[in-house]
Amino acid sequence: MATQTHCLSYAGCNFLRQRLVLSTLSGRPVKIRKIRARDDNPGLRDFEASFIRLLDKITNGSRIEINQTGTTLYYQPGLLYGGFVEHDCSVLRSIGYYLESLLCLAPFMKHPLKIVLRGVTNDQVDPSVDVLKATALPLLKQFGIDGESFELKIVRRGMPPGGGGEVVFSCPVRKVLKPIQLTDPGKIKRIRGMAYSVRVSPQMANRIVDSARSILNKFIPDIYIYTDHMKGVNSGKSPGFGLSLVAETTNGTFLSAELASNPQGQGTAVLPEDLGRNCARLLLEEIYRGGCVDSTNQSLALLLMTLGQQDVSKVLLGPLSPYTIEFLRHLKSFFQIMFKIETKPCGEELKGGDKVLMTCVGIGFSNLSKTLK
Amino acid sequence: GERGSSGARAAGGSGETGLWPASHWGDRVSLEKSLPLENAALPTSDSGHCTAEEAFASEDESEGSSSLSSEEEDSENEDVSRKRRPKPTQVGSGQKLGSENLTEETSDIEDLLKEEEHYKEENNYSTETSGALRWKEDLSRKAAEAFLRQQQATPNLRKLIYGTVTEDNE
Repeated sequence: MATQTHCLSYAGCNFLRQRLVLSTLSGRPVKIRKIRARDDNPGLRDFEASFIRLLDKITNGSRIEINQTGTTLYYQPGLLYGGFVEHDCSVLRSIGYYLESLLCLAPFMKHPLKIVLRGVTNDQVDPSVDVLKATALPLLKQFGIDGESFELKIVRRGMPPGGGGEVVFSCPVRKVLKPIQLTDPGKIKRIRGMAYSVRVSPQMANRIVDSARSILNKFIPDIYIYTDHMKGVNSGKSPGFGLSLVAETTNGTFLSAELASNPQGQGTAVLPEDLGRNCARLLLEEIYRGGCVDSTNQSLALLLMTLGQQDVSKVLLGPLSPYTIEFLRHLKSFFQIMFKIETKPCGEELKGGDKVLMTCVGIGFSNLSKTLK
Repeated sequence: GERGSSGARAAGGSGETGLWPASHWGDRVSLEKSLPLENAALPTSDSGHCTAEEAFASEDESEGSSSLSSEEEDSENEDVSRKRRPKPTQVGSGQKLGSENLTEETSDIEDLLKEEEHYKEENNYSTETSGALRWKEDLSRKAAEAFLRQQQATPNLRKLIYGTVTEDNE
């Protein structure tokens, strides 16, 4: 893992997380230049600095050098250590921003990771903790990462701009990952959802549920949308509400969609009815895109396929997201892995949009930091 | 381009000759298609198993239709065969057809009848088999065309994602 190979060099602030995560897993140092060099406010943002601090906390022996203006970052990864960690995330991005990367790294720690993250649980940019809990965790289970200690719990909800949410994530470690063969998504079996509201009338959540059901009821009877109204200290510092919907298929694929209200003092007020209806439509769109992994988790699935045993993994995806496409390029430069990519037009039995069948042979990555017992 | 079996076989053979470079393929196919059309138009026109009237009739039709597209011609052929089938009974009962040259003697009619029957059987045989087996003709060529169409219609995602370097590697 800590093989010293030549440093990879990038320019620009895009895909910072991808680069740092892949650098950590591959052990290759990375140098990123020109981070917002021409911006009025140059250099790394607070949320990125917070992310780098988080990486520093979960690894041992990382070397991080940032120049004075913050426009150049050199990162030489250490070993993934894990253990119990607490981290205050920046409220500029939600906890999902940090959690997405942690999901990639957590299975390869020396000690099982248990981490408390504080900040914003639901915002309009990143996948919320609810969605990651409902979609990413089942996906990791497909790769053989499972166990009692594998959980993601929302202790407190926090909406932007104030934040104040708290999440506990714990993940067991694995020496090797199982290869996957997910080529048949199956049919939609049930739809579950979570309508949450904090520091607003509890009736908001009910209004969201009604409007979302008004669209979804036409398609499938098995719908249950939970309402979650947190009070007092568990409700964070800012008011807000939102909805996340998850459709489960007969073959255990989870497709998700979500929407959150505008943060207090930003933009116009959102009607819960509109939010519910729009979110239901987003879910239908996601189902149309389809595939065995929903679009927020495409890159996670591809990473774990790459890091699997030396065996063939196959996964059927919907249209690739731009983030995933860049991730594939990064996988090539860090791990020299290229996927076989076949387009599968929607035929008779494959309904919905065009699908892409991704095939690769894992590099046989094994978790060297895990202690043998 | 569904045509008489001879032409189709020629085209099918070219399909089987296998993997042409995609750029040449289109020209090749169209060329092969156009040739058998002309060849095959002739056999049907003079394949008329020579009764006087039928020969005339079929010749007229074929002359009229030789410039038409193949599918129309096919359908007309079917019409002709359908027309011919009831003929023997009509001729036997009372010569109601009499428009052209049916003022002939009974012996002629009997001959004609015999020949008609003979003709009818053959004709039936040929049209039915060709009709029934038409979808089977040129399967390899059709498959090759479908494959190439598919290949050209779908973007090469691998190339889009990894750039042109992959082409050299592959």
